[in-house]
Amino acid sequence: MTGVIEISAVTKTFPGVRALDDVSISLAAGEIHALIGENGAGKSTLIKIITGVHLPDRGEMRLDGVPVVFRSPHEAIGAGIGAVHQERNLVPRFTVAENICLDRLPTRHGLIDNRSIVADAERWLKTMGLALDPRQPVRELSVAQMQLVEIAKALSLRSRVLLLDEPTASITPHEADLLFDILRDLKARGVAILFVSHRLEEVLSLCDRVTVLRDGRNTAVSQPFAGLGRSDLVRLMIGRDEDAGSARNAVATEGAPVLELKGLSTAAGHRNLNLRLHAGEILGLYGLIGCGRSELAKAIIGIIPVTGGEVSVAGKPARIGSVAEALAKYKIGYVSEDRKGEGVVLDHSISANIGVTVWQRLARGILHYLSRARETKTVRPFAEKLQIRAPSLAVLVGKLSGGNQQKVSVAKWLVAGTEILILDEPTVGIDVRTKAALHELIRELADRGTAILLISSDMPEIVALADRIEVMNGFQIVGRLENSHAYADVSRQIMDAIHGAADQPQMAASIATGRTETAGETRGRMMS
Amino acid sequence: MTALDASSAPSRRVVPRWLTRPEIGLAAIIAIMVAVFSSIAPGFLSPFNAFAVARDLSVAIVLGYSMMVVLAVGGMNLAVGSIGVCAAMATAGMQAAGVPMPISVILGLASGAALGAVNGIVVVRTGLSSFMVTLATMSIYFGVMLLLSGAEAIRSLDADFIAFGRARIFGTVPVMFVVSIGLALILTYFYRATDIGRQMLFTGSNPKASELSGVPVVRTVVVAHALSGLLAGLAGIMLTARTGAGVPSMAGQIGRDWLLPAFIAPVLGGSALAGGSVAILGTLLGATLVGVLGSGLRMVNIGDFWIELFLGIILLFAVLADRLRSVWSPVSGTGP
Amino acid sequence: MIPEPLKRLALADNVGLATILVVAVAALAIANPAFLTSFNLYVVLTSLALWTCVALAQMTTLAIGQMTLSLGSLGGLVAVTVGGLCEVWGVPLPLAIAIALLVGLAGGLLNGVLIAASGVNSFIITLATFSAFHGLTLGLTRAIPFYNMPAALKALGNARYGAIPLMLGIVLVVAVAVHIVFTRTRLGRHMLAYGGNPQAALLSGLSTARIVIAAHGLSGLLAAIAAILTVGRLQVAQPTIGEDWLIVSFAAPIIGGASLTGGHVSVPGTLLALALLAIINDALVLLGVDPFWVQVVLGGLILAVVGANRLREGHRLGEAVAR
Repeated sequence: MTGVIEISAVTKTFPGVRALDDVSISLAAGEIHALIGENGAGKSTLIKIITGVHLPDRGEMRLDGVPVVFRSPHEAIGAGIGAVHQERNLVPRFTVAENICLDRLPTRHGLIDNRSIVADAERWLKTMGLALDPRQPVRELSVAQMQLVEIAKALSLRSRVLLLDEPTASITPHEADLLFDILRDLKARGVAILFVSHRLEEVLSLCDRVTVLRDGRNTAVSQPFAGLGRSDLVRLMIGRDEDAGSARNAVATEGAPVLELKGLSTAAGHRNLNLRLHAGEILGLYGLIGCGRSELAKAIIGIIPVTGGEVSVAGKPARIGSVAEALAKYKIGYVSEDRKGEGVVLDHSISANIGVTVWQRLARGILHYLSRARETKTVRPFAEKLQIRAPSLAVLVGKLSGGNQQKVSVAKWLVAGTEILILDEPTVGIDVRTKAALHELIRELADRGTAILLISSDMPEIVALADRIEVMNGFQIVGRLENSHAYADVSRQIMDAIHGAADQPQMAASIATGRTETAGETRGRMMS
Repeated sequence: MTALDASSAPSRRVVPRWLTRPEIGLAAIIAIMVAVFSSIAPGFLSPFNAFAVARDLSVAIVLGYSMMVVLAVGGMNLAVGSIGVCAAMATAGMQAAGVPMPISVILGLASGAALGAVNGIVVVRTGLSSFMVTLATMSIYFGVMLLLSGAEAIRSLDADFIAFGRARIFGTVPVMFVVSIGLALILTYFYRATDIGRQMLFTGSNPKASELSGVPVVRTVVVAHALSGLLAGLAGIMLTARTGAGVPSMAGQIGRDWLLPAFIAPVLGGSALAGGSVAILGTLLGATLVGVLGSGLRMVNIGDFWIELFLGIILLFAVLADRLRSVWSPVSGTGP
Repeated sequence: MIPEPLKRLALADNVGLATILVVAVAALAIANPAFLTSFNLYVVLTSLALWTCVALAQMTTLAIGQMTLSLGSLGGLVAVTVGGLCEVWGVPLPLAIAIALLVGLAGGLLNGVLIAASGVNSFIITLATFSAFHGLTLGLTRAIPFYNMPAALKALGNARYGAIPLMLGIVLVVAVAVHIVFTRTRLGRHMLAYGGNPQAALLSGLSTARIVIAAHGLSGLLAAIAAILTVGRLQVAQPTIGEDWLIVSFAAPIIGGASLTGGHVSVPGTLLALALLAIINDALVLLGVDPFWVQVVLGGLILAVVGANRLREGHRLGEAVAR
């Protein structure tokens, strides 16, 4: 089968990381082609190369057998390639209709013809079964609605090739089913579709062939699904079988918790939320993107204001106003899910990035003398323990691989001697080996008495590590279970908890926001 | 190892890294300018001119630092001129009223620091950009200064104060220049070897990550703005000592004449506008370049008028060259 | 409980500003009858007309999330271009104006090209060109103004119909045109799209370099119009024209609701802000207040309005987070 688009042996390097190494893929007309891999395996980079956002360092791309080079998205769109990227690619203040038609705003007598924009957009929204008002500004939409508008925008290009980077990440199963129907229809009309998803069940039921990436390399190139099962895909993605993890010694969860949330409400939208975390325990907090997990963590450490209820640490009410306070007074640390944006400071050294939490403690005298030697001496044991691979501690963190950066992001809290550690997606986008090492470290920390709140949307990770699991959806806890470490069983329970809540979307929404009904919710109802 | 790895080996670097630093380029340009000007205008290297240039430089260096310290935390301070004049007028006013000279200087500096701190507090409290806040306060501070001073110059200054402005050591080195160099050393210590200084650079690089690492970002930003105000005040007071009078218009209407010199020194010196780095030696050299260029053009009778054109072009080349350097520099990545 | 439509109205962009303006006019008319005299209104409207294109020029760069510090010095360059062409070279006025407009356009385009090609922050690039344009103006004129301006140019700046200056008509036409550009033309919408989300603009296939260059070009052109009108008003082509533009050029669009981060501008809002500034200035004069208060009031007004906008935005942000 010759492809509409054939990518062969493409390599792309960013400062400090080889995102793609010798990667190939072939998309045929009239197929839905799955692209899978763990976070950070290079899926988004591959899509950005096909759409002209990045130029490959090496390798070739052919369109209908002819070699092409796209220097900008403009050229790619001109060649009939449409995409839904992972980042939000809508203009918040513009209307739904304008966003859909942005690159081809129709004009009459030189002026934009708003009526025909709305008509055009309405058509695509209808195709998607969306009852949205095309005149509504995008910034008033929910995350799921924005995602759907982006899909409508990509469809409206009437591309021959359609690339979808995790289009189902924040939409309900019902909305996803609608999308799949549309994709099947497009496939029947000869469109080549590349579909990226984390949900293997979706992939197996929807797609014809699959390409798998692991650490920036192909582990499967445009392979038919025949004979491939879920476990085979997992093995291709992570290089080994899904492991349920060695069971840890049971921890006492009967005693007094070190961290307790009592009826907590936050400015982000959590209402009346309860949670208990014990010393030596790994508490898993599972939830999809946008469900309020990171916001909860940020409320605990004093970034997002607490509007009601109580956070108590070691049995005493704690009013935490800043991370500095969370650290100094309550020994709470937080590893952000956004490693490059919030976890590390790329243009500072490893030593500074780990030592920053203890600078104030290390500085001496009225001149605040902070000796580099003392910093290095304090930091080194932890850098060694985590096996951060770098020629020296003076190396800039931006030059490290993702895995080593994440180790730095964790190490700073170990130096500071935190007793409560909140880990937000600690293994997103890092290689398999580092991931295993971090898992081992998390277990070890808990065994030595650190209380760990593990936030993750990586089901195998949660099942492998957590002692207990709280399931979050729509800014509330929708399920709470003991982890039996039996993957199939636990994962089903988690999904049931989420879907149970998602079946009543309006209710969940109004509980989540705690607002009286406004135009927003009315629209939400219209959609479902 | 693939073939690509071999081809991108780090041995390709032709020039050692230190040679590509902006300080080297600046020093080279300054040296060339000095050579050219002194060959055209023999008076250029005379002790008299050297003293005059160094004394002008001292103020420009301090002014450059007042912007640099706030650029370091990722902000900016458009009110440096306004604050400088306010501090200068406060000091001059106190001296005219008979306040002892040291106390007038200390209180003048304190007023500069206080005005800077107000900027910082408004920035962190409202979350507005420091550009907007200092755009507003440059107008407010200047207006208040005019109201208090009646827009009259103050000429009855303390004799010791004026003597300080004219003092020299070793015959040609102005004491004010020594002050600037001392300041450079203090700032070097501050940013390299104190927790507060390093927290500022950390905050400037990535405020979110810094806050999430327990850096007291709010305090850090306020202190940086206060320090900026203090240094702007110092520049104003030094200029007053040099000219021998507190003049409300010494930095132009609302202090805008100081904006260009305040930005040009740190930016030429290699301080990132985005924050996170300070170029202490670079800022000193940047101010020197501006001073030498100005003096030289005057000496060769091109006159004051063209100076700004040259400065603009030099600034443009400096930022473009910096841009090219970062694009061209080979990525010394750690392969997988 | 406030009814929803009323709340929406209160949160709408220009209502607050318009209310303040009406109250200010009413209060001033009562406090000092001299305010409503034809001559005083003429003074106020002239000030409004002189500043309109200055503010619109900055507004155009704010639309794409950038700024231009070189606005004023480009204005100075345009002013002496007109002056020099008319006085020294004897060029006919229409041609002189056309060339001056081209100089403004070229200066703006230069900014845009440098920014788009280098990717360097607009602040730094326009700081450099600010210096360069100003140096060019001073170097060419040796800081000496051109005094012999054509009568037609003087008339342009000083003709009036009762309280209405001719210039006001001109700038209103320009303002309407700019308003249409940003609301109804592809280029204007693309500028705002780029300002609102540069990544989205790029991925949607828009030519971002062209957008940046066009915005700065338009900004330069508007600065040139402002400079020519100012020459007409002053009857002298002074090299110092533009030196006092910086604060107002930012204050008016921002008070008028533009976002410093880009993606949103308002021509009516900017005009309302300018009217308010002109009236406050006039009030200080009429009420015999120390003119030095002007600086304090201007700065305070910027902080107050921008702070209030910030609170309003924060309100919306809070909602967005809560979803």
